Amino acid sequence: MRGWNVAIPEVDVGDDIFVVQDENGTLRRVQVKTSTSKVRKTGFSAQFQIPFKQLKNISNVPVHYVFIARLKDFWSEPVIIRQDYLLDHYENNNLGSEFSGKIILYFSFTDSKVECSGQDFTKYISDYTDFPIIEH
Amino acid sequence: MKAIKINVNKQMDGYTFSISPSIREQIKELIPNAHPANNIYIAYDTKSNFELYIDNIESHIFPVLLGIANKDLKKIEQIELVDTQTGHTHKVNPSFDKEI
Repeated sequence: MRGWNVAIPEVDVGDDIFVVQDENGTLRRVQVKTSTSKVRKTGFSAQFQIPFKQLKNISNVPVHYVFIARLKDFWSEPVIIRQDYLLDHYENNNLGSEFSGKIILYFSFTDSKVECSGQDFTKYISDYTDFPIIEH
Repeated sequence: MKAIKINVNKQMDGYTFSISPSIREQIKELIPNAHPANNIYIAYDTKSNFELYIDNIESHIFPVLLGIANKDLKKIEQIELVDTQTGHTHKVNPSFDKEI
């Protein structure tokens, strides 16, 4: 859809998708996190888990996390956050909670807004800044 | 200003040095003409014993990663190099590049 070439790793040990801009070799690592959701009075909520060790290890190609929640027959708009921003929220804004080596994140979706631990994540909804459309 | 925390991730053939978005904002507030990078990667040939060189390249890495001139390094009191895999912290005085 955006003109990037996509490769799915054969063995599921970390990254879900490698995305490559063929012309210059720009590489993106993508981790897709999906969850079912619960209906709330205003909107719905979903819970996601990320291994803490993975979040901390920022390499020269940081991971882009894509959070998507399923509610009945439709999927939410993707919330796209680069690893260093998510780690920054975790370290400085008390984002989520740590349990058994994983960070548990609760997203609440209301109208067209998304919040996580009181942090406004609306700006990350469908944030394709790092995935500009490539014309072929 | 709090110490600047630089994350260091050792890989098979090099090191990634990165700073968080909030650290980048702190640097820009302290030094308005700074242009900090997200991360820089120093690559070596695999099995080149690059661990031997790492202490010697810090002084070159700081200005590039933090996006500031060498003279402005004096405005930063302390830099902490944090190994993201072990959590080990290595404190450095950026002005003189000596371990504290």
